[in-house]
Amino acid sequence: MAKLSRRNFLIATGWVAGGVTALYTLRNRAMTVAPTIIFPNNASGISWVQIRQDGKCMMYFPRMEMGQNSNTGLAQIVAEELNINVTDIEGVTPNTSEVAPIALTAGSMSMTAFSHPTAVAAAILRENLRARAAAKLNKPMDLILDAPGGFTTAENERLAYADLLDDTPAVVEFDEAKPLPALYTFDKTRKKTQVGRPTRPLDMEKLITGAPIYTADVPMEGVLYGRAIKPPVRNARLDTLDTNGVDGIKGLVKLVREDDFVGVVCKTPSAVDAAMAQIKVTWQLEQPINDDEIAKIIDVDARMAEGELEHIFEDDNHRRDADWDIDLRFEVQTQSHAMQEPRAAIARFNPAGAAHRLEIWTGTQDAFAMKRLAALDTGLDDDDVVIYPQRMGGGFGGREHYEVEMDAVRLARAVKQPVKVQWARADEFMCSRSRPASAHRIRLAADDKGNLSDWWHGYITGHIVLARERLPGWLLPVMRLGEDIGTVRGAVTPYAAPHHRVEFSDVDLPIDLGVWRSLNAGPAVFARESAVDELALKLGRDPVDYKIEQMDGAHPRLQACLERAREMAEKRPLPKGKGYGRGYACGIYEHRCHVAASADVFVDAATQTIKVTHMSCVEDVGLAVNPDQLRAQMESNIAWSVGMALMEKLEIGDDTIQSSNFDNYPIPRMEDMPHVDADIIDQPGIPPAGAGEVALIAGPAAIANAIRQATGYRALRLPISYNDIKAATKS
Amino acid sequence: MKLNVNGDIHEIAEDWQGESLLNVLREQLGLVGSRFSCGIGQCGACVVHVNGAPVSSCLLPVAEATDKEILTIESLADADGALHPLQQAWLDENVPQCGYCQSGQIMQAASLLENNPNPSDADIDAAMSGHLCRCGTYDRIRKAIKRAALTMQETS
Repeated sequence: MAKLSRRNFLIATGWVAGGVTALYTLRNRAMTVAPTIIFPNNASGISWVQIRQDGKCMMYFPRMEMGQNSNTGLAQIVAEELNINVTDIEGVTPNTSEVAPIALTAGSMSMTAFSHPTAVAAAILRENLRARAAAKLNKPMDLILDAPGGFTTAENERLAYADLLDDTPAVVEFDEAKPLPALYTFDKTRKKTQVGRPTRPLDMEKLITGAPIYTADVPMEGVLYGRAIKPPVRNARLDTLDTNGVDGIKGLVKLVREDDFVGVVCKTPSAVDAAMAQIKVTWQLEQPINDDEIAKIIDVDARMAEGELEHIFEDDNHRRDADWDIDLRFEVQTQSHAMQEPRAAIARFNPAGAAHRLEIWTGTQDAFAMKRLAALDTGLDDDDVVIYPQRMGGGFGGREHYEVEMDAVRLARAVKQPVKVQWARADEFMCSRSRPASAHRIRLAADDKGNLSDWWHGYITGHIVLARERLPGWLLPVMRLGEDIGTVRGAVTPYAAPHHRVEFSDVDLPIDLGVWRSLNAGPAVFARESAVDELALKLGRDPVDYKIEQMDGAHPRLQACLERAREMAEKRPLPKGKGYGRGYACGIYEHRCHVAASADVFVDAATQTIKVTHMSCVEDVGLAVNPDQLRAQMESNIAWSVGMALMEKLEIGDDTIQSSNFDNYPIPRMEDMPHVDADIIDQPGIPPAGAGEVALIAGPAAIANAIRQATGYRALRLPISYNDIKAATKS
Repeated sequence: MKLNVNGDIHEIAEDWQGESLLNVLREQLGLVGSRFSCGIGQCGACVVHVNGAPVSSCLLPVAEATDKEILTIESLADADGALHPLQQAWLDENVPQCGYCQSGQIMQAASLLENNPNPSDADIDAAMSGHLCRCGTYDRIRKAIKRAALTMQETS
């Protein structure tokens, strides 16, 4: 298959059976064993847009859908370029045999990485069609004018796209040697019809009518049900195994054991539950799993007392012995993704001669890594394996590993029938590659005028992107020579200080770690925005005014967000009385996404509760392609901010993960959700940056700062409980 | 064993008579709109109406549902496809993100509006408290329920 040209490749899949297809695609079909990180750029993009003979516009969706709706934004871009309505576009999620590898869907990168190639693909298609119109009317190109769904001329000669197609399929490829066509999406002066307008996400009707859309909904003839035992940590080895009770389970098809892999296949889901309950295992661990062990490893003060941390991220005239005004240690808890859909996969093996020997249906952030890893796991060739990506019931960074897929593959292979695996909720918590706990020491000093003179932030966090389990053992030490882009995220401060150091160590922890919404930026910005707030209060300054001053004019977009958040918050007077408070926080995510938030809290002594009553959130992430969905992401991150600040902590102890369901890992419910005002500072001339995890860097600190204002209690540890406040304010 | 779901009578195969109502709906009847999420009645993703009341179908043995009328999300729109006012309001407010919890949310909200046609914020929070949404669409759910309540009052 690799011998086929890209053009032939698409024709072979039948996708370009008719009409005109514009290609802007990848040169390099490299496959990886690590997460797929092939992002498009100007030289190697990836996008397919097609006009069929009936005038219908189709496009491949390059993003795995999990509620972020970035494909809808990309469809809006195609519609803008082609002068059609977004609702006239049919999107197709390609399987892994239909397209070259696409980068995993993660890190709020979708709009950043794909908006430009998508616009280029649609624009070269438009210009190809314009050339056809010119030929048909025998006029020069520049007299062929845009019209809805086609072209027109000064003489009102109207041509729809369908009028320009014949029976010969054609493929138009991006030619680097030619100048780029006009990109309407990024034209500041254009009055846009699709981009920048609130647009209903695609598939919304399916979601509100209960149509089949997730992995476990896929109908499958002759399917059986299975699950496998999960270790508390990936480097655990099976110690003892007792499966004596399994044979007696009604509906059991097979008990499957391959080394440390132990699972069951049954005729019905409840038989799986019953059989799994009969399996007793113990594990050999490399180190104890409990909170004390983790606390010891991330003890930032102990490490900083020994000398410099592992990575000096910023270092500018640093003074170890400045006269510190603020010297605080912040600790952030381990958190789990807890997405609403427990992971599921269906695997089916086919006889030799079938188009694919192994088919896998799964909701994953990285379909191409799944294909590769399934091939490695089974000894099949890459091209014998196909992944059919399904919508995910939430991802948040947690669904990029070959795990539930492995369960389905191994069980299906053992029984030679298709097997559906849906994890139990307890499996989700056990196998969560958690956001690591971290500890931050922040020291700040101000000069005579109150301006920041010294900034020293040292922190220790578990690994994130370079977590032990995310990469093959041989690759890990090599990759760790470089920076972990997860653990550095959020480390850059927007506040100017002439003496300045940010240093950190990233470490292995006894639990499995990975990518969790906002990576290290949530914890780091919580610590920083709390510390600067405290410094402002110590200096007798208003924290918002003080933060803006300390930006020293270097971050006008961030400043504008913070000012707008204050305006919005001040429209709602805070109730008078004991226990009410308002706080603010702001930050820049990935150098391009600007956010500020306010929080109003009520710390209620009568009910001994902390209630976040209202939050405002303002973002400037460049061009707002779909303002409604940008707001939706802000609201979602506000909910996560409440969870991170007040509720969530993965329970770890007795050498295992103790959290097993929503009763011992509470997440925000409706009564915990504040009313949210979300606002956008649109920048039509700046390419869109992602927004999927941005507000989570500002929300938790805004809540902590509001509690400080309400009670005088400075939260140094998340999640904050009423008892923390009570204990601290009594003494 | 027979089951009355959305007005249709289904025969339940013997192998499946010991399953939960949710498993039978999804795996035997192909009604996959009710979702599995927590398995212990903590999240509401599997809520259906049993004799008019919202019930977590993951906890209800199908054998206990045989003499009852069961309604699932698939029954909420008219036979001709016209959406229930709640579904329309959900669309108008663009409520779902990942969408996994939304069937259960809508079924609970339908039950709420049947008993309380004009709920306050506090009524809504109380009625919807058993339903988790990890994406945090709660504020839009509140708005959608109020919007639907208004539509239903205007058309009644």
